[in-house]
Amino acid sequence: MTKFMRTTRLTRGVIAVVAACLALSSVVLSSAAASASVRLPSSGVETPTGGTVSETGSTLLYPLFNLWAGGYSEKYSSTTIQTAGTGSGTGISEAENGTIDIGASDAYLSPTVASANPSLKNIPLAISSQVVAYNVPGVTQHLKLSGKVLSEIYQGQITTWNDAAIASANPGVTLPATPIVTLHRSDSSGDTFLFTTYLSKADPSGWGAKIGYNTTVPWPSAPGALGETGNSGMVSGCKATVGCVAYIGISYLQQVLQGGMGYASLQNGAGQYELPTQQTIATQAAGYVKKTPASGTISLIYGNIKGGYPIVNYEYAIVNAKQSSSSTAKNIRSVLEWAINTKYGANSSYLTQVNFQPLPSKVTAQSIKQVLGIS
Amino acid sequence: MMSSLSAAPTTARRRIATQVWRGCTYLALVLLMAPAAWLLINVVAKAWPHWQWSVLWTQLTPTGGGLRDQILGTLILMLGVFIIAGTIGVFAGIHLAEFSRPRQFSGRLSGPLRTASDVLSGFPSIVLGYVGYVALVVGLGWKLSLLPALIILSIMVIPYIAKNTETALRQVPTGYREGAEALGMSSGYGLRKVVLKSALPGIVTGLLLALAIACGETAPLVYTAGFSNTLPRSLTGSQFPYLTYMVFTGYNSPEVQYHYLAFDAALILVVIVMLLLVLSRIIVARTQRHSESSRVTERRGLRARMRARAQKNEPLLGTVGAPPR
Amino acid sequence: MSTVGGMAGSVPATPHADSVGKPPLPRRAADFLRRNEETGWRGVAWVAVILPLAALVFAITVLAVKAWPVIGHNGWYFLYGRTWTYGNQGYGGGPGATFGAWAIIWGTIASSVIAIVIALPLSIGAAFALTERMPTWISRPLGFTIEILAGIPSVVIGLWGILTFAPWLAHNVYPHIASVMPDVPVLRYFRSPTGTGEGLLSAGIVLALMIVPIITSTTRDLFTQVPPLPKEGASALGMTDWEVANKVTLPWVRSGIIGATVLGLGRALGETIAIAMIGGAALHIPTTIYLPFTTIAATILTQLDGQLANPQGVSTLAELALVLAVISVAVNLIARVIVNRTGRVGAPLGGA
Repeated sequence: MTKFMRTTRLTRGVIAVVAACLALSSVVLSSAAASASVRLPSSGVETPTGGTVSETGSTLLYPLFNLWAGGYSEKYSSTTIQTAGTGSGTGISEAENGTIDIGASDAYLSPTVASANPSLKNIPLAISSQVVAYNVPGVTQHLKLSGKVLSEIYQGQITTWNDAAIASANPGVTLPATPIVTLHRSDSSGDTFLFTTYLSKADPSGWGAKIGYNTTVPWPSAPGALGETGNSGMVSGCKATVGCVAYIGISYLQQVLQGGMGYASLQNGAGQYELPTQQTIATQAAGYVKKTPASGTISLIYGNIKGGYPIVNYEYAIVNAKQSSSSTAKNIRSVLEWAINTKYGANSSYLTQVNFQPLPSKVTAQSIKQVLGIS
Repeated sequence: MMSSLSAAPTTARRRIATQVWRGCTYLALVLLMAPAAWLLINVVAKAWPHWQWSVLWTQLTPTGGGLRDQILGTLILMLGVFIIAGTIGVFAGIHLAEFSRPRQFSGRLSGPLRTASDVLSGFPSIVLGYVGYVALVVGLGWKLSLLPALIILSIMVIPYIAKNTETALRQVPTGYREGAEALGMSSGYGLRKVVLKSALPGIVTGLLLALAIACGETAPLVYTAGFSNTLPRSLTGSQFPYLTYMVFTGYNSPEVQYHYLAFDAALILVVIVMLLLVLSRIIVARTQRHSESSRVTERRGLRARMRARAQKNEPLLGTVGAPPR
Repeated sequence: MSTVGGMAGSVPATPHADSVGKPPLPRRAADFLRRNEETGWRGVAWVAVILPLAALVFAITVLAVKAWPVIGHNGWYFLYGRTWTYGNQGYGGGPGATFGAWAIIWGTIASSVIAIVIALPLSIGAAFALTERMPTWISRPLGFTIEILAGIPSVVIGLWGILTFAPWLAHNVYPHIASVMPDVPVLRYFRSPTGTGEGLLSAGIVLALMIVPIITSTTRDLFTQVPPLPKEGASALGMTDWEVANKVTLPWVRSGIIGATVLGLGRALGETIAIAMIGGAALHIPTTIYLPFTTIAATILTQLDGQLANPQGVSTLAELALVLAVISVAVNLIARVIVNRTGRVGAPLGGA
């Protein structure tokens, strides 16, 4: 072996080792760069890679998502959003098993599901609320209903509209003796989740202890209780049934009023009866802003907030943070960033059509942070 | 049929009893026909006011549109079922009719196999959809898509095709088979060229029935095909459109246009089913002219009936037997 | 071959040793195919005929495997309990989840029984009306209408039911029935409240409409198979049409009708979409016959897509599906036994 060959072999070895180190580090660095540095462009919305983003879930969010789908496709014609209204439970399920890209839900993930699926996120998109509508002939005013009264109605303990419990809270209103027909959602519904949360918090020893809250609950057998599918089913069912009471998402308020139905002032945790106005909803949301965690998982319902409407909630996009392809992830991020941005989706031109409100800025920032984590 | 032979009943009570009974049967017929007619008229009446021919070639959008891809989806499902279930069902029927020898293994097994086939035909469709979801959509990772839907639908209709094929094959007179064998055809050749050819109308009727069932199913498709606004490009991985889902969910949708589309979808479905039924009736009527087991002779006079019985080698005066207890 | 042409020495007198007596390859292939064609048919046919049985076994196995984790947890309460809840702390199960499916099972059986009670007399009566003394120009279109009714998708029937038929019943029929019912044990069930039409009786009537074609066409075919001589003899002896029908025709076709009825029962048990749309979706036993209820099939359909992220919910629904599968298989087997015992099989639906 000549000296030349030994040197060459040594040099070759050194070069090989250095090259390997460089290659390895560049791979590590580039993957780290790819996963960590998803940055928002200055416009606030990333450009999508094109294709279809599928969304399904809450019928409360559905009208807004439909409007968003139209607006988004105008700006990014390469990408279409396919929407459906199938119920919040379906939104959560199908986001969890990958059937759908974005699940819409009025309900946040329960601790059980969140811990079983650590990569599943619930990202607040907007603030919405729920009304309690009724079809009582001759009553044109807004009836004052408390959670306890509603709990007893839905349990079948109060059966007619002129019951003493309702009359005492509504002096001066002539209530007919019409029997009450309670409407509930038969699909797996975020509206059920919201309404039963309200009933549980307002009547903890009654509804809260016996039935609790969920997207599907065992509704007690109130006389004539009916199940409807979707918010629009609740609207049409209540319109067709004299004496009905139904919990309906606020995005359907126009249809409720067009159907000749009234909606109630609900009693909040501070004892006041409030109507769902922009003011009262904003007050309720503001009362919970500080407490909203980074994950967005919090209930805004009830609580001792003066002047707040008691049934208010974040509308969530349920998304799996680990997507199968980076282009799908980019599309989803783009859609969500567009939706939360006050210049685009969170603009009042969209939100006022459905009586929603934009997120407080602190929550917006938290949501964006969650969105950027989708890859 | 019996008008020439019924003597006048002697007591008023018996006469009244007969009239009452006849009235009851007509009442039953009316009670049955009225809702059926109401249903058909209602489907048309609800769809017609908002019907636009553009529904047939426009795509479905979140706010309205047409049913183009849904119609194509239903037709593709029917075609797929025709191919998959048609092949398997016809072969199963061939086995049950031709290849099961009574005293051998194949014959003893054919009883349970036929029972299994009949039990499958009565199996709840939603349970099959659930099984399809667990085993195919999730288990094999195909996701909600065309292929699991085709497999589950085929499983559902194979028993009908098999039963119709077997009946059609059994109605082929043994004379044909014997003639083929006498002419020296191997049994496979004879099966192909003679027996199957003459049983073809009955087989086709069974296939049309299966298509009618396949186009009208919803429950199993919800959990195997999902739903989509547009026709996907792959067999697995993307959800598949079809008409019945629009009927199921459209009438309750927040979008008013979807209500009209639901009625339109219902109308299109009824039209498809009627076309299939008319087609199968035409095929049956065509072949009854040639078939030996025509029932048209039932209504003719005594001599015609005796002639028919002679053709079938039955006792000329009919079988006189006590009804089974 | 060896003498053609007369070319000396160019063609050997004896053929080549390897191809003694064998025809050329294409002909051999054709012979092979022809001889084994039947084996080919048989083989494929065997595979095809095993498939239904394999599919059934596969389905039941999948359900059993999926339901296994919760069968022990739910126990026998599953079959007799009346509370069905996924837990009271938000989506996804957890504590408080109790699954008692008695109300759901009851609803399945009750709706099917109502359907049979309504469908059976209607079908037999209609079959008689269509085969006795009816001119062909009426009975043909009516028969065709019945076939259409058999083929109409149940979702279309459900749509008509929920939008038109059930409200009509609730406004025009139920109040009259309820107003004349006395407060005695069984009839009490028919009193007010009469609800909005979505409920047990409406679903039962619509189910009856769906199974009538099965029973009617089978009965019609059976009627035409009754040998004419006993009927003609009875007529000759002076029996009226009603007596002939009652004493001669009906006994002859009785077991066939029972078989067809049990088949219709099997169909009613598994009917999903129409009940989901008309039944009203109440997870408890209704207090009157007009009020909402639910069946196993409708519950699985409406609940499954909301429970996919909740393994406990999915497994419990599998258990529910297993219960329905067992009931359906049992009913169909009974139908087969009844039909086979007398050797009388009704003609297939949609056939000639």
